[in-house]
Amino acid sequence: MNLDETPILRSSDKRRLTIALAKGRMQGDALRLLERAGVRVCDEALASRRLAVEDESGRYCFIFVKPSDVTVYVEHGIADCGVVGRDVLLESEADVLQPLDLRIARCRIVVAAKPEAASADCGMLHVATKYPRIAAAHFGARGVPVEIIELSGSVELAPVLGLADCIVDLVETGRTLEENGLVVVETIAESTGRLVVNRASYQLKAEAISELIDALGESLQEKSMGKAV
Amino acid sequence: MTPEPLSKIPGGMRYYFGAEARLRRALEAKCMSVFDGWSYEEIATPSVDYYALFERGMGHDEAHRAFRFTDTDGRLLALRPDVTSSVARAAATLFAERTRPLRLCYAASVFRQRARSHAEWRRESKHLGCELVGAGSHEADIEMLVIVAEALEKLGLRGECRITLNHVEIFNGVAEHLSLDQDAREEMRLLVDTRDDAGLRDFLATRAASSSQLDAFSSRLPRLTGGREVLTEARRMITNGRSLAALDALETLWETIEALKLSDLFEIDLGDTSGLDYYTGLVFKIYVVGAGTRVGSGGRYDELTANFGRREPAVGFVLDLDALTDVLARNESCFLSLDDGYISSIGGVDATRLFKEAMRRRANDERVRVGLEMKRHSMESSDEVEAPSDETATRRDREVAE
Repeated sequence: MNLDETPILRSSDKRRLTIALAKGRMQGDALRLLERAGVRVCDEALASRRLAVEDESGRYCFIFVKPSDVTVYVEHGIADCGVVGRDVLLESEADVLQPLDLRIARCRIVVAAKPEAASADCGMLHVATKYPRIAAAHFGARGVPVEIIELSGSVELAPVLGLADCIVDLVETGRTLEENGLVVVETIAESTGRLVVNRASYQLKAEAISELIDALGESLQEKSMGKAV
Repeated sequence: MTPEPLSKIPGGMRYYFGAEARLRRALEAKCMSVFDGWSYEEIATPSVDYYALFERGMGHDEAHRAFRFTDTDGRLLALRPDVTSSVARAAATLFAERTRPLRLCYAASVFRQRARSHAEWRRESKHLGCELVGAGSHEADIEMLVIVAEALEKLGLRGECRITLNHVEIFNGVAEHLSLDQDAREEMRLLVDTRDDAGLRDFLATRAASSSQLDAFSSRLPRLTGGREVLTEARRMITNGRSLAALDALETLWETIEALKLSDLFEIDLGDTSGLDYYTGLVFKIYVVGAGTRVGSGGRYDELTANFGRREPAVGFVLDLDALTDVLARNESCFLSLDDGYISSIGGVDATRLFKEAMRRRANDERVRVGLEMKRHSMESSDEVEAPSDETATRRDREVAE
């Protein structure tokens, strides 16, 4: 990384915003939405491996981080805003503002299991998941005793290999589940990309942030109108 | 299992030393002198008190975050998670006979076993605060805000800070008008507090009985921040008497703030709906550029002293000294360098002569540093003390004499 070209973060300039974007699926969708809202990042900067880039106007600085780190940067105020899935927000219980549902990267948090196990009654469920808090809250609300087995990937394998009775995971199309012989038992929550804002930035950079929210809100409206036509 | 290293410090705890410790001390002194300047009398409360006190004073959820342990008789104690509870009890009991209003201030560490959020990682923090007990007037609210403004100004933060104002009865009036039960009210409060416009609209859509005007207002609530125009906009949409009265109170307050030429420090934020069960009127939060979380908060809590057997109006605030120190320590120009200029180093072989000179200079309030370095050195290397070579002995004499 060329340090000279890394934009200065943590600027106290009230007109400048630092925005944390979740890498991966969310990133492309978010950047397209931002572009419609008039915030463009040049392709060259995106193609580079830099983790912090500026938009063309120089008013926004983007940092690209792991989805679960977006809330960390925003909660600490290092980033003023962020774009992250609701799944991450529910899991992290981050204390951030969520002014806008961006309706991108739509997916569901579900309970899935092998078809034969789906309806089985048992005294204690073994649940494998990347979302221990969401899973514990979901089963806790129903009074089902569970043992949460925290995994960091390939959760679908757990029921197949007998590590767990079911999984709590994020599902977009359901193909991975299907290919591993699992079915959705129930949906816990819908998840879409959200604009999140640091509490202090919301007050201290009020103008810049409400400008961004308005611009994004308008481009969302245009998008949904376009779909309706 | 490997034993815990002695070097380990419990999470959320820290040391202060050097320039940062001096800065922190200076900030505290500045704030306390502002409080003193407004005739607030310092009070020191017990560091350890009955858990039941804090449960009454802060509510179960907040008090639950305290470090708790038992007394010899089995009663539950807590390391104080706030100071206001103790002050409110003192006002209702110890100071019951004193003339009102009571003006009290404090600088005290508070301890919380569980942090409020990931960003507020500290489990010990020093609170600087004021409590004005027994005055329910508009002027009492203003006095609090003016003191906060002066403290921030004295810390060199005017222009770098924002104090948001709200009145809890605005939301309470809306919730009552929507006839929300406890759970629904909390759900709506959270949606407003996190500024989730879309979620709030969905929530309101499921409540059939509400009027379109109220819906319009409610769904705008999270975005209603700014100056006087916020009040004008809110007034067009609010119909219930309870909210309207609160809006009037906020408008009167704003007019005074404008007249005092302080409006650049303040902002109205009708979307601030935290602490609704605690506060009864004005609420405010203090933000400073460079701090990701608020550095202070306050408001009116007329119900609090009733928990201790004497209902009377009260208003107060706290500033988080550690959060302020963090912000200002990053700003080097604010660093008070006490090292410059007036350090005089004295040396001498004879202890009497050495300290006579040191005491003479201290009598003139000079800053002295007695040259003890070499002596410590010889203590540490004990073999040298037992059998000092000629070389070390002369080197010691020379350095002490310098």
